Amino acid sequence: MGFRQGHVWRSIFRVGLPSDRRGRLRVVLANFFLHLHPTKVPRSGIRLTYTFCLGGLSAFLFVLLTVTGVFLMFYYVPDTGRAYADMKDIGYVVPFGRVMRAAHRWAAHGMVVTVILHMTRVFLTGSYKPPREFNWVVGVTLLVLTLLLSFTGYLLPWDQLAYWAITVGTNMAAAAPVVGHEGPFGHPAGARVDSDLRYLLLGGTTVGQNALLRFYVLHCVALPLAAVVLMGVHFWRVRKDGGISRPL
Amino acid sequence: MASDADARMDRREFGARALRAGWWTLAATGAAATWATVRFFVPRATYEPPARFVAGRPADYAVGEVSVTHLAAQQVWIVRDEQGIYALVAQCTHLGCRPNWLAEEQRFKCPCHGSNFDRSGKVIAGPAPKPLRRAAISLLRDGRIRVDRSEQADLAEALHRPGFLLTAEAIAQAGA
Amino acid sequence: MGTGTGEVMVETWPHLVFIELLAMLICTVAIGAFSLVVEAPLESIANPGYTPPIAKAPWYFVGLQELLVWFDPWIAGVIVPGVIILGLMAVPYLDREPDHVGLWSPRRRPVAWSIFIFGLALWFGLIAVGTWDRGPHWAWYWPWESWDVEKPPVATTTDLPPWVGIPAVLGYVAGGIALPAVIRPGFRRRLGWPRYLLVTALLLGMLAVPLKIAICLGLDVHYVLVTPWFNL
Repeated sequence: MGFRQGHVWRSIFRVGLPSDRRGRLRVVLANFFLHLHPTKVPRSGIRLTYTFCLGGLSAFLFVLLTVTGVFLMFYYVPDTGRAYADMKDIGYVVPFGRVMRAAHRWAAHGMVVTVILHMTRVFLTGSYKPPREFNWVVGVTLLVLTLLLSFTGYLLPWDQLAYWAITVGTNMAAAAPVVGHEGPFGHPAGARVDSDLRYLLLGGTTVGQNALLRFYVLHCVALPLAAVVLMGVHFWRVRKDGGISRPL
Repeated sequence: MASDADARMDRREFGARALRAGWWTLAATGAAATWATVRFFVPRATYEPPARFVAGRPADYAVGEVSVTHLAAQQVWIVRDEQGIYALVAQCTHLGCRPNWLAEEQRFKCPCHGSNFDRSGKVIAGPAPKPLRRAAISLLRDGRIRVDRSEQADLAEALHRPGFLLTAEAIAQAGA
Repeated sequence: MGTGTGEVMVETWPHLVFIELLAMLICTVAIGAFSLVVEAPLESIANPGYTPPIAKAPWYFVGLQELLVWFDPWIAGVIVPGVIILGLMAVPYLDREPDHVGLWSPRRRPVAWSIFIFGLALWFGLIAVGTWDRGPHWAWYWPWESWDVEKPPVATTTDLPPWVGIPAVLGYVAGGIALPAVIRPGFRRRLGWPRYLLVTALLLGMLAVPLKIAICLGLDVHYVLVTPWFNL
């Protein structure tokens, strides 16, 4: 009768809102976004006080960060002469720019919190035990990626905090054994100030234009891509390794 | 008959060898491509200031002074004391932060992890494992100071190796 | 779908989907509201010529920064983070007791809980110290002290001589590896040698952090063991 029975509507939503048990199962299977889930889940596994939604929240914060981050890219140029001025523009000239940047920053802090708490939850409930060992390893890698994403984003405002935090952070690379020019066995292995791991990271001997550009590309392209792939593996393995953990 | 079988064996052997050679070629190509990719990210040229620079004349530095004139561009302090003039590399030996010179305390203090150094660069406190390094320093024929950041020595080496201290005598001679 | 454990299964729609939707909404509203009220920090423009006296990493790295105060750069900057990450990855391969999955029960897994909570507390303790007790030039300031006053110079520290350092480090490692095996032989037997050595090595590494800090603070020690390649 109405629009929802019409040809166009039905072409978009194959299955209507479920009215019976069969419909509830079908709606999950037929929807691209929902089919990440199994059609049925154990009641004890989805109790709020069991998971606290921490894994899902981490993933959702990643989506929020992608959206706000892409928006910010419209007003930001990774050029040492412009970056800081662009931050000021985002704060004072761009409509709602200040809120957008704040949301990106706070969501990033939030994601670090939820990822750590999620890991704590998984550990304390013993949910890394067989058959879920490897998914725990994938999870630790995702934790590292989350921290690297935060760290690379930290340089982009090009303020004093950013500059010196990145200087310290990348100097650890210079202290690495063999591949760092100040690390043990670095000198005999041929690592010099202009040929070691830090030089590779910064594209120079100090934090400068090359470093800003490198961190920008890592932050906006390379690391998010790696995170998306690993998140895909992580979610897929949750289902393949016996679904959400629960008391056995 | 026998030669036929031999020929077949040879063909099989040849196939196996060719396959092995193929795998090795593939592995070598992969290794070369990996090396090339890493190398791609190590630039040949950067647009940083040259490591060798002229730092004024000895008269520009008072005895007892720790000069920050060349700190921003070159990351060195020029220090003058009774013995002469030397160039300290402004990089904490712990994790490469830039310490600040605090004249009231007569110490370099690193903000990042709290290492303290005295005027000669020796570690007084904090996690830094070694004294501040020194850069090569010399007098040009016209009496100006040349500092070479690309040549560095740690304190023990700098004290006995020539080229890391402009002695008071050398300065006096040049002035005369 | 029933796995034969008598587990009660419920439909994903609406039971799980509803929780997820609610969580996403609350999260979005919380981030949005917080961002309207609290601005993201921005300091003055980057200046290679001036190091601000307060140069702190973001909070999740402040713990690492505080750790770096007490250790050699490549120990603290490379070995410690590397061991933490690899140690975390190794967890499911070291603890292979298949029981007590899916329970919030400290009483059933007291050892695992204690170790993890100790590690977490250590990490967040270091973060708290770095955030609230470190002022200009990373000097120690109590939370009620003003950062405007430069602290008097800290005490000079010295390295321990090798005839103290070498036995101390060797004794710690050997004693630490032997002790659990002597007290609880069953623990060692259940794990087997390779896993037992890995577990004790990781635990000794974790315990070494507060121990080293205590030695440095209590005895004004710089490094316990000095070698040409690294210092401990």
